[in-house]
Amino acid sequence: MIIAAYNESAVLGRVLSDVLHCGYRVLVIDDGSRDATREVALRSGAIVVRHPVNLGQGAALQTGIDYALAHDADVIVTYDADGQHRASDIEGLLAAIEQEHAEFALGSRIRGRSTIPPAKRLVLQAATAFTRLTTGLRITDTHNGLRAMTRRGAAAIQLRQNRMAHASEILAQIAKSGLRYVEVPVTVEYTAYSMAKGQRIADAVMILLDLFVGKLYR
Amino acid sequence: MIAQIILSVLLVSVLFYAWAEYRRSPVVALLSLITTTAGLYFVWFPETSSQLADFVGIGRGADLILYTWACLSVLVVLNLHLKLRTQLELITVLTRSVALASAEPALMRDQNESAPAMGRLQKDDVRSLPVIAAPSASS
Repeated sequence: MIIAAYNESAVLGRVLSDVLHCGYRVLVIDDGSRDATREVALRSGAIVVRHPVNLGQGAALQTGIDYALAHDADVIVTYDADGQHRASDIEGLLAAIEQEHAEFALGSRIRGRSTIPPAKRLVLQAATAFTRLTTGLRITDTHNGLRAMTRRGAAAIQLRQNRMAHASEILAQIAKSGLRYVEVPVTVEYTAYSMAKGQRIADAVMILLDLFVGKLYR
Repeated sequence: MIAQIILSVLLVSVLFYAWAEYRRSPVVALLSLITTTAGLYFVWFPETSSQLADFVGIGRGADLILYTWACLSVLVVLNLHLKLRTQLELITVLTRSVALASAEPALMRDQNESAPAMGRLQKDDVRSLPVIAAPSASS
């Protein structure tokens, strides 16, 4: 299970205690944090890989995927560090992979019982419509940090978008791989902390620009 | 005539540059090729620039050349941006290898004093690594 964290020492301890309690092996990618993220992760019982400089969540997740593949992980789960996911949802993702023989299980807050703030719901709907149009994936949620992938699925992912556009890039690569995917209902809890750390509408525009520019060169 | 030759030499070197950039970014290279060829044409046939400007509704030929120049500047900026992204990808690969090479195992939460395991880290082992944060990047 991989968690990318940048200056998350305030909430990371609680997040890690939840997931470690469920018995998962956890890798924290400390993305060049300036606070005690690394120390908190190590003390909580997670393996820590540390970027010497801050690169962004996409880069951190790819580092995590590389580490997990090199250490013979069968299934890799990505999980946000800001405490908006529920550890109890992970089981549903793993069950979906096993029962539906899928290579990817994607968390969907739309299918779940999350109370999404209206402005966020609007941006999310636009992003989902855009993703459906550009990738052809039949999904109800994009930019949800909770997902699971098998070893085979993870090998098909090679993120080049270092920052937030990686969430769209991952979906594009899933579509391109042609591997089987399923959506699983999950609950996202919006706290004041996660909202402050979350995406704004201006970020959505930057994500679009990042995706466009990413296509202009090799 | 002197100005025409100097400008031509400059524009031809831009043509070569655009050709060399083709493999990295075909879009930027093609747009640069078109704009530079148009520039060369206007240098040698300035009178046609006025006709063309009139045709597209710009007014004066000099304005048309100014707009062409502005387009070329935008392309140069875009090309520089793409180069910076390529550099960032190299830095990412480098950073990733450094990070993976220095992965740290989890500290045992329930430390057993009587049976210290090989390679097990103690809480005091947590070192404070220096952090160099990029000024504007964030997760």
